[in-house]
Amino acid sequence: MSVDHKVSSLLAFLSSPKLLPNESEAEFQSGLQSLLSELDNPSSLAVALVSQLNESLWWIKRHTVDKELLLHEAMARILSKGGIYTETYDNSKVSEALENYLDGSADKDEAEWIDEILAESKLTLSDLRVRAFKDAAKHIKMVDDLIHRQHQTMRHLQRSIDSIDYKSRLIKRMDLELAALESKQSVKEVSSLDAKPS
Amino acid sequence: MPNHRRKLANQCNALKSTGPRSMAGKRASSQNSRKHGLNSVPDFESSPAYQTLVELIAGEGFSAFVCADIASGLLNYRRVMDAYYDAYTSPEPVDEFLRDVNVKASIPIFSELLIPSGSEPQDVREMATFFADMQRQERRKSGPVSRRSADTHKLIRYQRNGIARLSRAIRQS
Repeated sequence: MSVDHKVSSLLAFLSSPKLLPNESEAEFQSGLQSLLSELDNPSSLAVALVSQLNESLWWIKRHTVDKELLLHEAMARILSKGGIYTETYDNSKVSEALENYLDGSADKDEAEWIDEILAESKLTLSDLRVRAFKDAAKHIKMVDDLIHRQHQTMRHLQRSIDSIDYKSRLIKRMDLELAALESKQSVKEVSSLDAKPS
Repeated sequence: MPNHRRKLANQCNALKSTGPRSMAGKRASSQNSRKHGLNSVPDFESSPAYQTLVELIAGEGFSAFVCADIASGLLNYRRVMDAYYDAYTSPEPVDEFLRDVNVKASIPIFSELLIPSGSEPQDVREMATFFADMQRQERRKSGPVSRRSADTHKLIRYQRNGIARLSRAIRQS
């Protein structure tokens, strides 16, 4: 059975990768293929474990992006409360404008608005980042825990793959030894037959 | 009635509720606290995926006992990761009304709503304190990214147990 066939037959049972709308399936699959290519003729179980390993890597990517998003969220929250007026700004609008501002894709009005709120709050962008980091520290720690968990999961999967690989290599080695013994035995039989006087 | 007053009235009335009365209502509300279902005992053995997995793994020279362990370990791990994905993609929604409502300014509205039905001013104060507590909790939950981090964080122990079970099943062979 080819590796591709093993992957497709297993994924039907282990649920195919669930990606977010903005994620590329091609990138996910290429990661999986590159991991599989490191194994020499992997068994079905090894393929199943490697696909879980690839998913863990994907989760680490997602959570790393989340850490930055948490900072942006906290920055927007601080800015939306930072107006000199009694009314606060609309959090979602500030968030959107700030996102564009940080990306460098904000239009003139948005950039001016963010500069204005920063001035009202008497903050520079780096001050804002520091305050946001303090505010979001609890959630950033949570995301760090999630990333750490994925690393631990990968370690478990790696050990399991190694154990399967070792087992299959051991079986192969024993097969070879058995074959060698059998051939030795047959050579002995032939030579003993040759040695018999007719 | 303005939107703000209507929402407050609805929430006040909901607090007077004594819960569902019909069997269907009781059945539906019994699932209210069910978040991910990972505490329930799964029945993998009767699923077709289990049988196919056992056959695939058996082809690799494992004993029947180990095959069964590995297959249920794999399916259990997938169950956890699917719940993890669901928690990540659909975090608890933000109650914007509760988050943004000015509780102090709403005290006169509470009085108008509660006093005609025989409540004391003390009850109005308790209601306002209750709302303020709920608001504090809602604000603590923060934005969508924070919420999904908090929701997925709750599943860490299931993930740890799931992968440990799978790894043990494979390495015992």
